[in-house]
Amino acid sequence: MSGLPKIQSYWLMLIATIITVAIVNTSQLITQRISLLLDRQASELLAADLVVVSGNSFSDEYVRQAIEMGLKVSHTVSLRTAVFIGDDIQLVELKAVDAHYPLRGHLEKSIEIASQKFRVQTGPAIGEVWLDSKLLTLLGSDVELGKSRFAANWLLTYEPDRGGALFNLAPRILMNLEDLASTGLIIPGSRASYRLLFAGEQSQIEQFSTWLTPRLSDDETIQNLQNARPEMRRALERTRQFFALSIVLTLVIAMVAIAITARYTASREAPKVAMLRAFGISQSRLFRFYSWQLGKIWVIATIIGLLVGWFSQFPLQWALDGWFGRELPIVYAIRPYLVAALVGLISLAGFSLPYLVDVIATPPMQVFRHIDTSKSIQRSLLISASAIGAIFLVLIILMQNSKLAVATLAIVLVTALMLPIIFRSMINALLFSRIPTFWMRQYLLSRLKTSSRGAMFVMSGFSLALLSILLIAVVKDELLSSWQTQLPEDIPNYFLINIPTQQVPGIKSFLDQRQIPSSTAYPLVRTRLTHINGAEVEAIEFSNPRAARLLHHTFNISFAKKIPDDNAVVEGQWIDTNSAAAQLSVEQGMAESLDLGIGDVLSFSVAGEVIEVPITSIRSVLWENFKPNFYIIANRQLIEDLPQTWLLSALINDIQKRDLKNLLVQFPSVTFLDITELMARMRGIVKRASIALEFFFIFAVASAFIVLLAAIQTGRQERQIETSLLRALSANTSQLYRINVLEFTLMGVLIGLFSALFASLAGWIISVYFFDIDYQFSAALWGYSLVSAITVLTIAGTLVSRKVYNISPMKILRS
Amino acid sequence: MQDVTKTVDTPDGALNILQNISLNVKYQEALVIKGASGSGKTTLLGLMAGLDQITSGEIILLGQPLSEKTEEQRSGIRSGKLGFVFQSFQLVQGATALQNVMLPLELGGETNAAEIALSSLQQVGLEAKKDTMVDLLSGGEQQRVSIARAYAVKPQILFADEPTGNLDAKTGHQIADLMFQLRDQSGTTLILVTHETDLARRGDRQILIESGRLQD
Repeated sequence: MSGLPKIQSYWLMLIATIITVAIVNTSQLITQRISLLLDRQASELLAADLVVVSGNSFSDEYVRQAIEMGLKVSHTVSLRTAVFIGDDIQLVELKAVDAHYPLRGHLEKSIEIASQKFRVQTGPAIGEVWLDSKLLTLLGSDVELGKSRFAANWLLTYEPDRGGALFNLAPRILMNLEDLASTGLIIPGSRASYRLLFAGEQSQIEQFSTWLTPRLSDDETIQNLQNARPEMRRALERTRQFFALSIVLTLVIAMVAIAITARYTASREAPKVAMLRAFGISQSRLFRFYSWQLGKIWVIATIIGLLVGWFSQFPLQWALDGWFGRELPIVYAIRPYLVAALVGLISLAGFSLPYLVDVIATPPMQVFRHIDTSKSIQRSLLISASAIGAIFLVLIILMQNSKLAVATLAIVLVTALMLPIIFRSMINALLFSRIPTFWMRQYLLSRLKTSSRGAMFVMSGFSLALLSILLIAVVKDELLSSWQTQLPEDIPNYFLINIPTQQVPGIKSFLDQRQIPSSTAYPLVRTRLTHINGAEVEAIEFSNPRAARLLHHTFNISFAKKIPDDNAVVEGQWIDTNSAAAQLSVEQGMAESLDLGIGDVLSFSVAGEVIEVPITSIRSVLWENFKPNFYIIANRQLIEDLPQTWLLSALINDIQKRDLKNLLVQFPSVTFLDITELMARMRGIVKRASIALEFFFIFAVASAFIVLLAAIQTGRQERQIETSLLRALSANTSQLYRINVLEFTLMGVLIGLFSALFASLAGWIISVYFFDIDYQFSAALWGYSLVSAITVLTIAGTLVSRKVYNISPMKILRS
Repeated sequence: MQDVTKTVDTPDGALNILQNISLNVKYQEALVIKGASGSGKTTLLGLMAGLDQITSGEIILLGQPLSEKTEEQRSGIRSGKLGFVFQSFQLVQGATALQNVMLPLELGGETNAAEIALSSLQQVGLEAKKDTMVDLLSGGEQQRVSIARAYAVKPQILFADEPTGNLDAKTGHQIADLMFQLRDQSGTTLILVTHETDLARRGDRQILIESGRLQD
C-alpha cells in the first residue's frame, strides 16, 4: 500500500469510532456483570428449591406429603412491625424462621459491624434475635417485640432470600419461629407472609410440585427459580430497557458522527483520488488502499475505545452497586470486547465505505469540473442501504430483537429521513412569512438552505444528536418520577396498620387525647381476584400489560360510608349505605386495565371463602395524596364479618413521637409505618439510579460535539469562499461577525424547535407504549432544547467566524 | 500604481509575482489586462481593487493610497464604489437571482435594496427570473445576475476577471456586449482581465503582463 498519500482529516472519524466502541464495551461489560450477579444469586434466591407463599398459615397436609416424598421442609413467617430505638420508632421487617432454615445457602452473623463473619446453617436460638446492621444501636440490649423481649447479641450480615436492597426498605430482625407466638404480633387478618420451603432432588421437587399445584388455594402461590422476585425482575427489566434505549440513542449519535466525518473525509479525498485515477492508478488498488487505511483507523479506535469502555464501567458500577445488595462481580469474558470491536468495525465500514467507494467510482473529470454528484439517486441508495444495513446488524448483535430498540431506531430513521424536508419547509415558511424582518434575512435564510455549505448537515446532525439527548432525559425523568411518589409537606407521616377491630376506638382516643391529627380508620380485608363475570382471571387475555401486574396483587378491600377525600365517582353511583345489596366501587385505572365496567361481577377469595360482587361505581383516585387509598371499596355489610385489620394515617411531630412507646405497650400488634423515613431512603436510591441513568449522557454529549464539529468542518471550504466573496463585496469584520452569528443562531432556533417537538412526541410514545408510565408534556423541555441549541450553535458560530475574518478577498478570485 | 511589487513567501524562498508595475487608469477608461496563465494578471487586478496587500510601491484607488491600509480600511474604500464580475460567477447558491443582487446593497445599508436590485435585473434582461434559484439558471444567465449585482451599487469602477472564461463563444459574446453596453450607459471605469483576443480588442487600452512584469 506504499506510494499513495495517507488519508487526511481522519481524526474526527477516529474519535467517532472510539466513542462507538467505548459505548458498546461499557454497556456490554456492565450488562454482563449484572447478569452474572443475578445468576449467582438465583440459586440462593429462595433459600430452597421450591417455596409456597401465602397470607395465611398452611395446611399440615403439604408438610406431611413433602416429608413422605423425602423432601426437607422449613417454615418462615415475615411481617412488618416496629421497635423502639431510644424514643424513636423504627419500622422493621421481622422474620421468624424454624431450625431447618435455610434449606439452600447459608446465614452469616457477626458480633460487630466490621468483625469476623460466622457462616452458619441455622437461625437464632429461642429467646434471641439477630439484627440488621442498620439496627446497630440495639446490639447488646434486649429488643422489645410486641409483648416479649429478646437478647440481641448478633448482627445478621447475610441472608440468602433477602433480595435486592432497592426493595427492602426496613431493616431485618431475624428470630426463632417458636418465639413468634409469644410476641402477640400475629392476630387474625395480620399482614404476615407465610412461607413453606422445600428442598430435595430435582425429580422429587418436580413430583411434589405436580402433586401440590392442583391443591393450592387461591391465596397460595408457588415460587421457584423461574418466577421468584417478580418485583425485582420488573424493575430490572425496566432498567435494562432504559439502558437499551440509552445505548441505542447514544449509538445513533455516534454513528451520525461517523457518517458525517466519513462524508467530510471523502470530500477532502476526492481531488486526490481523481488525480491518482487520472495518473492511471486502478480503482481496485485505490479500494484496497482505502480499506487498509480504514482498517488502521479501526484498530487504533478499537484499542482506545476498549480502554475507555473498560474504565467507564467503574463509575457506573458505583452507581449500581446499591441496587443489588452487593458488589457487581468482575467479568472476565471476552465477549464484551469482541462485540464492541465488531460494532466499531460495522459502524465504520457501513458508514464510511460507501462514501469512499463513491469517490473512487466518480469519473475524475466530474471532480475536476466540480460537477455535484450528491444528488445522484444511485449514490444516495448506496449510502442509505449501507447505513441502514449497518444499523440493523448492530441492533441484532446488541439488542437481540428488543422491541423498544427497534421502535426507537425506527423513530430515529424516519426522523433522519424527514429532517432535511422539515428544515427546508421551516426555512421556506420563514422566508415567506410576515414575521418581523431582520438584517439580511433573505440572504441568511438562503444560506441555510444551501446544501453544499453544510448548513443542512449541521442542522440535521445536531438535531438528531440533541433529539437523542433530550429523549434520554425525557424518558429518564418520567421513569424516575414513576418510581418515586411526590409527597406534599403536610401529609401524614405515619401509617398505623395491623390494628385489630376491637382496638380501633382505643387507638383513636389515644391519638385524640394527644391532639395527634389522624385520618378515618379503614378496614382492610385481604383478598385475591379470582374471576371476572364467572371466568377465571388466568384464562382471560388482557390487552393492557398492566393487567397481569394487577392480577398478581393481593387486594385490600375496604369500606367507607362516604367517598374518601380526593376520590370522585366517574361512572355509576357511590355505595348506598342503607342497602344491604352487594356493591363495589373500583378505581378507574384498574377498571381500564382489566376492561371492567358497571355491572361486571368480580369474585374474590377471602381466607378460603369466595364472595361475588357486582361493580356499582368507578372512581378516580388521587394516589399522590398519600392518604389511605384503595383500588376496591365495598359496602360494609359485604365484608364486616370477614377477617380484617384496620389502617389509619396520622401526622405525628417529634415531641408526640415520645408517646408512641405507650401506644405500642397498650396495642402491641399495631405496626407503625414511618413514611418520611421510607421516602427519604427511596429518594436516596432514586438519586443513585438517576446518576446511573445519566451516565450515558457523557457519551451522548461527546458524540453530539463530534457531530457538530464534523458538520461545521464539512462546509468549511464553502464558508471560506463565501466569506471571501462578502469581503470583496465590501463586508467589514463586524458585518461578517453578525452574519455568521445570526446564521448559527437561526440554526439554533430551528434545531431547538424541531428537537423539542420530536423529543416530546417520541418521549410520549416510548413512555406510554413501552414503559407503561404516564407522560407529562413539559414546557421546560422546550426551554432546555431552545436554550441549549441556540447557545451551542451561537458559540460554534462565533468560533467559526473568528477563523474566517482573516480570509483574504483574493480567495474569491483564486477559487 | 507606482512601482508596485507583490512577493509571496514559499518554501523555496520569496517569489515575485509582480515586479515594479507602474500604471495609470483614467476615469471611464476600459482597460484590458492580458497575459498567459500564471503571468500575474489576476493578482494585479486584485491589488488594483484593494483585495490584497502590496509588498512595496503605492496604489492610489479613487484618490486614496492603499499601501498602509488594513483589509478593514480597504473594505471601507471599496464599499459602494467598486463592482466585481468573476469567471465562476460566485453567486450564493440556494438564493434567488434577486436575493443575490440585493446582497451588496444590504451590506451597504441600502433600505430600498429589493427595488434597486429588481431594476438592475431589468437592465440585464432577467426580471422574469428574479425569483428563480441561481442554481437553476444557465451559465450565461448566472453571469448576467453577477453583472446585475456588480452594477446594482452603481460602481465607479467595475473589475471583471475572465468574465467569459466559463461560457461558450456565443454566450460569451452576449455577456461582453452586455457588460460594455452597461459600461457605456453608466460611464463606469472598467478593468478587465482576459486572455481572449476578441474581448480584449473591445477595450480602450490593452496591457500585457508577462512573468509579473508589464510589457510595453
